[in-house]
Amino acid sequence: MDHTEIKVNDMPEWLLKNENYIPSADKDTFVNKSILSVFKVLSRIKKQDSPGETAFQINVPLQVFGTLVLILLVSLTRSFVFVIIVNVWLLAVLSMTDTTRMIVILKLSMGITFFTAIIMLPAFVLGNTYSSIMITTKVFATITAMGLLSHSTKWSALTQALKRFYLPDIFIFILDITIKYIYMLGEFSLNMFYALKLRSVGKNRSKYSSMAGIAGTVFLQSKEMAEDMYHAMECRGFTGEYHLNDKSKFKWQDYLYIGIIAVFFTLFIYFGRV
Amino acid sequence: MHIPDNYLSPSTCAAMGAAMVPVWTKAIRKVKEEIPKAKIPLLGVGAAFSFLLMMFNVPLPGGTTGHAVGGTLLAILMGPYAACISVTVALFIQALLFGDGGILAFGANCFNMAFVLPFFGYYIYKLIKDHVRSEKGEYLGIILGSYAGINIAALCAAIEFGIQPLLFKDGAGQALYCPYPLSVSIPAMLIPHLLVAGIVEAVFTVAIVIYIKKVSPGTFYKGAKEKTRAVYGLVAGLICFTPLGLLATGTAWGEWGADEIKEVVSGGNVLGFVPHGMKEGFNFSAVMPDYAVSGLPEVAGYLLSAVAGVAIMIIFFKILGNMKKDKAGNNVGSYRN
Repeated sequence: MDHTEIKVNDMPEWLLKNENYIPSADKDTFVNKSILSVFKVLSRIKKQDSPGETAFQINVPLQVFGTLVLILLVSLTRSFVFVIIVNVWLLAVLSMTDTTRMIVILKLSMGITFFTAIIMLPAFVLGNTYSSIMITTKVFATITAMGLLSHSTKWSALTQALKRFYLPDIFIFILDITIKYIYMLGEFSLNMFYALKLRSVGKNRSKYSSMAGIAGTVFLQSKEMAEDMYHAMECRGFTGEYHLNDKSKFKWQDYLYIGIIAVFFTLFIYFGRV
Repeated sequence: MHIPDNYLSPSTCAAMGAAMVPVWTKAIRKVKEEIPKAKIPLLGVGAAFSFLLMMFNVPLPGGTTGHAVGGTLLAILMGPYAACISVTVALFIQALLFGDGGILAFGANCFNMAFVLPFFGYYIYKLIKDHVRSEKGEYLGIILGSYAGINIAALCAAIEFGIQPLLFKDGAGQALYCPYPLSVSIPAMLIPHLLVAGIVEAVFTVAIVIYIKKVSPGTFYKGAKEKTRAVYGLVAGLICFTPLGLLATGTAWGEWGADEIKEVVSGGNVLGFVPHGMKEGFNFSAVMPDYAVSGLPEVAGYLLSAVAGVAIMIIFFKILGNMKKDKAGNNVGSYRN
């Protein structure tokens, strides 16, 4: 009994007080938003590593080429019917992809189309019906086509396909590094965002400068990482040249794809005359 | 500022892409000179950094948030040529993999954000820094450089939009691509950039530079000191005046572009386009239905709408099914289904 009393007396006054601390609310939307946008990019990079339906995978360089041709034709045409046919085709392809992927592609294309529609609204009201409707439908076709391409192929296969179009090695090399380091630096900055959030209890007035600190640290870290990477490359004897050993032959679906692109080209010329 | 496809005509896109080729060539040559071959990975990592920088949101007055582009920052940190390549790669990844910015408009986007933004921002920064030799002078340079850089880039985008209705019209005098003349596109692009985005860019750039100076002062781009300053001054001076000239001609165009699209047709008359455009130009409502019906056999039309209908129904039911699955909570690994 006596012993415990001494203990209590020894304790400083403030420790014995009952405290009810409620941290004052602070706004940190920008931190949350930054976390969210970095996180979205990271998950997107991770997801592209698990492509489904490999059985129907069209030869990637061919698909890149076909998508580019389609986008170019859509952009060049003045025929509304042609744009609608392309849109219907893209919707049909979209309806065949699996649901999760479809929703992601649709979200992006619908979002940008909606944005375009709002931008074109004043022009529509003023009487320029042609370009406002044409541009909106064309934007939907273009974004959907790109979405289908980037969501149905591994990105490493996409950069590899670029080699087929005679892009210089150095460019493809830089592209590959960039994708990899977006992921690594993204994770790095994500951890710092979490730390900023956890350590800001109550009002934190220096949040804004912490933001600059995060960006600055990411930059310094990127420099360090680049140097490390160079040394690693040098140790392994990498000369910066890429070799393509892709011996895949065209399968039946590839010929079908070529046929479809040819049909679109014919339609483009046909409707261009009308 | 990412221009999507179909806002600009394919010929504009081709012209902008062609304009970027010498810039890219020069940038690659310069970077090879400045950065030893050893440090090529730096470009890729720099591109990753510039990509991520656009993900960083900063608070704006009124509770909203915005993000910086960081073009001037990259130019100050790595030099304008390396910044040009880094931003180009970042834009390429955004266009190809994230659907942000057009594929055909890639050249135009690069022109605005990978060329105009870092170079103008950097040279304005350099000009002020060389003339006001104090720490304050440097910060002033950073603020003005980054503020001017992003605004000049926005002005370029606005001009690219604004010239579309002047150059590309159909027989009836209706614009084929972006329908807004310079008198609409310039204020629409510049007002938000002058008032909000420019300030975000300037504040963020200065804050990051101060931080890096404090933590690791040795990492800055040194620039070409051996070159004569007179040349730099001249180049920077010219650069400062170009946007003024563009702005001046812009308002002149805008005047006869006037405030309505209809007037653009009469503007076309002044320019010598579409002599009889006025008459047909007023018959706006008749154009659309004609386009929709003409040239498509009835059977093909039915077929087309049938395919569209089926596709839309499948999409609709798939989304519906997915929503149900979400509720049941068994959507683990649904990406592979």
